Amino acid sequence: MSAPTTDDQARRRNEEIVRPEKPFARFRWVVTITLLVLWFGTTSTVDIELSGLAQLPERIVTYLGLMYGPPDLSVLGQAVEEMVISLGMAWIGTMIAAACSFPLGFLAAQNLSKRPTVFVARQVLNFFRAVPEIIFLILFIPIFGLQPMAVAVALGISSIGTIGKLTAEVIEGIDPGPLEAADASGGGRLQRIRWSVIPQVMPEVIALWLYRFEINIRNSAVAGAVGAGGIGTLLVRQIGQVRDFAGAGTSLAVMILITLLVDTASGRLRRRIIRGPTRSVDIGAEEPDGGHSGDGGAPAKNPIAPI
Amino acid sequence: MSLDASSPPKGTSARPTKPPPTAFAVLGVLGFIAITIAAGYDWTYGIAFSITEIIENFTRTNPAYEGLLNIDWTRFESEVVRQGFAETFQMATIATMLGALFGLPLALFNSVTGAPNKTVYVLVKNFNSVVRAIPDLVYAVLFVAMIGRGVLPGVLALFFLSVAVIAKLTSDTVDGVDPGPIESARASGASHLQMVRTALLPQVLPNYVSFSLYTFEINLRGSAVLGFVGAGGIGEPLNNYYQRGQYDRMWGVVVGFFLVVFLVDRISIAMRKRLL
Repeated sequence: MSAPTTDDQARRRNEEIVRPEKPFARFRWVVTITLLVLWFGTTSTVDIELSGLAQLPERIVTYLGLMYGPPDLSVLGQAVEEMVISLGMAWIGTMIAAACSFPLGFLAAQNLSKRPTVFVARQVLNFFRAVPEIIFLILFIPIFGLQPMAVAVALGISSIGTIGKLTAEVIEGIDPGPLEAADASGGGRLQRIRWSVIPQVMPEVIALWLYRFEINIRNSAVAGAVGAGGIGTLLVRQIGQVRDFAGAGTSLAVMILITLLVDTASGRLRRRIIRGPTRSVDIGAEEPDGGHSGDGGAPAKNPIAPI
Repeated sequence: MSLDASSPPKGTSARPTKPPPTAFAVLGVLGFIAITIAAGYDWTYGIAFSITEIIENFTRTNPAYEGLLNIDWTRFESEVVRQGFAETFQMATIATMLGALFGLPLALFNSVTGAPNKTVYVLVKNFNSVVRAIPDLVYAVLFVAMIGRGVLPGVLALFFLSVAVIAKLTSDTVDGVDPGPIESARASGASHLQMVRTALLPQVLPNYVSFSLYTFEINLRGSAVLGFVGAGGIGEPLNNYYQRGQYDRMWGVVVGFFLVVFLVDRISIAMRKRLL
């Protein structure tokens, strides 16, 4: 039992001296008010009938019943076929993006290129990033027809921005030692890149491409908007046009399962590429410390920070 | 190998031999080539990549590119287009805010540190994977079928997209947090909720807010495609102009939309840089 005065003193000490002041009070208020204004500003003006929202749970149950009670397995073969086409679009698209973004990544890296070059390269990357896939798709349909190829090219071109920027970030994070060594031994610009930069960045850049491939599998559904093939088109036709929900159930399940399968495989491959063979002697392979965006060196399931 | 530089005869053993490529590298390259050929080849499971066709079609004139040459800028005065822009912003904002709200717990429970127990962890992890495996356009077409055309299915589609993106990116941050504060919270007798509140959340909060802003960028871009299946936004007028072959009008709206997205991207990226 201590005297109240000591207790008070201790509390005051605790509050005034030991505990540092909270730094972000003003910032917090600004954020809260902005969010509230945005929320009420948009919800009060938007043209939404709340009756639709009220019906939603019941409708979801009804339609899941239509789709999976039971699903129409006769479309299974077609669904798998279309899904593989979607994977093909995503793969070729990613290849196109990889080929185009690789040189751009070097031009956009501050430790390799001059300031004006970096600026121009970054703006080019920003341009590709800001255009939605559907726009590129519409742009490429006249050239490739309403075909999966148009989707692949559209996905590829619209991925250039993201992959290029992330490639540049990987390049900016390299160990400058080998670069200096190449300089010291009189290497030219291309030789520096070939012998000092590429060996350092390649594992991470390949992991980046694989990661983008996973994203592009999902993005390939954009083909459904215009009917350019793949699982997206099949689903839009089954659900939106012929209203064959039992068939759509099968297609949706196929899409989810194959996407998850490819994700898992690609994720394992990415980890293997970045970390090297597990449970073997460390051969001095430079452990990528996941430098970007502070996601630490820990499990690093996805070592790639967005943009 | 001798470290004595003077002893080896010049030109031969001074240079270490290059190790042979590993089986993993060889298989990787072979698999890579095989997949590329299989995906690009013209057969049932390929997408028929053809350079000659590209060159052939490039030289042909077509209405879409003629429209690109005489863009019609007057469409911004029309009610439909203005409404489309407004709807796109409304959809993206509402979906991002709701997505951020639901995405945070899903992200925290997606990792062993953040989940209260193993069951929740496994359930949430699988739920997140499935939500993430369905593209926004498929959500949109599903919700349009369920509750009819309009902005609501668009908001719902973008909501699921937001939840997927925020949960995925934030959970990767959660996996990489510094375990120190968590241990000290547990050591001082914090309950799971208190631990999450005082040790885990402060570590992931900057990234989480940054990812939410990033999701807003994605939603804004993604909203363009939803109108093609009747889920509102700027895609509705775009789809109308596209279907009717009014390419001059369509490109006008496209350029306007691009400028808006570009501007929002710049602002959002500047804000995210300050956050991290």
